[in-house]
Amino acid sequence: MPLSTPQLAAEAAPAHAFAAFSFVDRIDEFEPSRRARGRFLVPAALAAFPACLVAEAVGQLAAWVAMDAVDFRGRPVAALAGETRFVAPVAPGSMLELAADIESCDDDAVSYAGWAAVDGRRVIELHDCFGPLLPTAEFDAPEALRDRLALLRGEGAPPARFRGIDALVATPAGGERGQSRRATLAVPASAPFFADHFPRRPVFPATLLLDAGIRLALELASELPAWPAGTPLRLVSMTRVKVRSFTPPGQRLDLTVSLQESARDGASIALAVSADEKSVATARVEIRAGAEENRR
Amino acid sequence: MATAITQDEIDSVFPTVAEMVADALGCELADVKPDASLIEDLGAESIDFLDMVFRLERSYKVKIPRGKIVENARGTLSEAEFEQNGVITEAGMAQLKSYLSEVPAGRFKTPTKVKEIPRLFTPVTFCKLVISAQRETKAAG
Repeated sequence: MPLSTPQLAAEAAPAHAFAAFSFVDRIDEFEPSRRARGRFLVPAALAAFPACLVAEAVGQLAAWVAMDAVDFRGRPVAALAGETRFVAPVAPGSMLELAADIESCDDDAVSYAGWAAVDGRRVIELHDCFGPLLPTAEFDAPEALRDRLALLRGEGAPPARFRGIDALVATPAGGERGQSRRATLAVPASAPFFADHFPRRPVFPATLLLDAGIRLALELASELPAWPAGTPLRLVSMTRVKVRSFTPPGQRLDLTVSLQESARDGASIALAVSADEKSVATARVEIRAGAEENRR
Repeated sequence: MATAITQDEIDSVFPTVAEMVADALGCELADVKPDASLIEDLGAESIDFLDMVFRLERSYKVKIPRGKIVENARGTLSEAEFEQNGVITEAGMAQLKSYLSEVPAGRFKTPTKVKEIPRLFTPVTFCKLVISAQRETKAAG
């Protein structure tokens, strides 16, 4: 499934910062070093807005608080996420309400929790997230970030600048039916989002990598004998996310998903991503069978 | 000066620490021996150390600043007494061996650089980290 509308991305993808991979339009509440509340309008023209990008939006809001807390000396990068609960899908055109609560932040690292909601109803929850802070200047212009935060906290950025991301299709590479699946993902050598993530050092966003892994996990789940073929499957949560290294443009990634547990109504699937036989990221994906929403 | 950490204290936290190490590294609990080298024997990387510290902070409701192990290992020595130009001094090595008493003597090499200290870390090192953090939390009231 494409991440969003490829044709839009091909026509007029913004190749500059704060547009191609930025998911906070405005910050309405900001308590330095502690918390923020913000929003992001998911452009109505998109075909879809994957759950991983909703998580990215929450993470970016937390990153603004963290960078401000250390006077933009450091910027957090994705590393650990204890649990992300996917409560409900987000439709294009939705106004995402974003929340980030900082648990601790210093020059070394930030830990935080957060959530996103649409019309007051939670769509995603992030718990036990942790990211080391690396020197900002390696990735971005600190002054540009400072100015951007001032804009977000003031009048806000023009909404609907995100134009989607070209479909990233993993190529099947074998596996054992009902037990595991392997695929390769060719990270593009160039893409608009690299101009935003990050301007001075392009890095393939971990959330896109995880999104590819989730899709592979859903494919594996679809062939499990525990439920009839064609049963709707829902992503419930992703736990134990650990991102070990940066993925540069042009990198070939090897994705493996393997069944850990299967019950009558769901499955737990381990995801491992590697590059050149070195681990890049690991996570656990929980999938539920059935059509009802994940709301608790 | 802080009281030395006892074996009883280590034994009391080891089961939980070992579980977290196994979970963080994705290895079998049985492989998490008290004196196993986390890097050499269990394949830990720097992100795994962050992961373990993060989990321990949550589980034990303590704060463990980054770099705390080296700070603890340095004991009463000043930075200059402990290392010179990134290489651990003779006095520093004696202090390090004393703090990391669970590490087999053969794993210490001379000279040792400060950045190489994590190669010596074992599950017991993290037990000690938790115990000292618990003591500091208790002392802070």
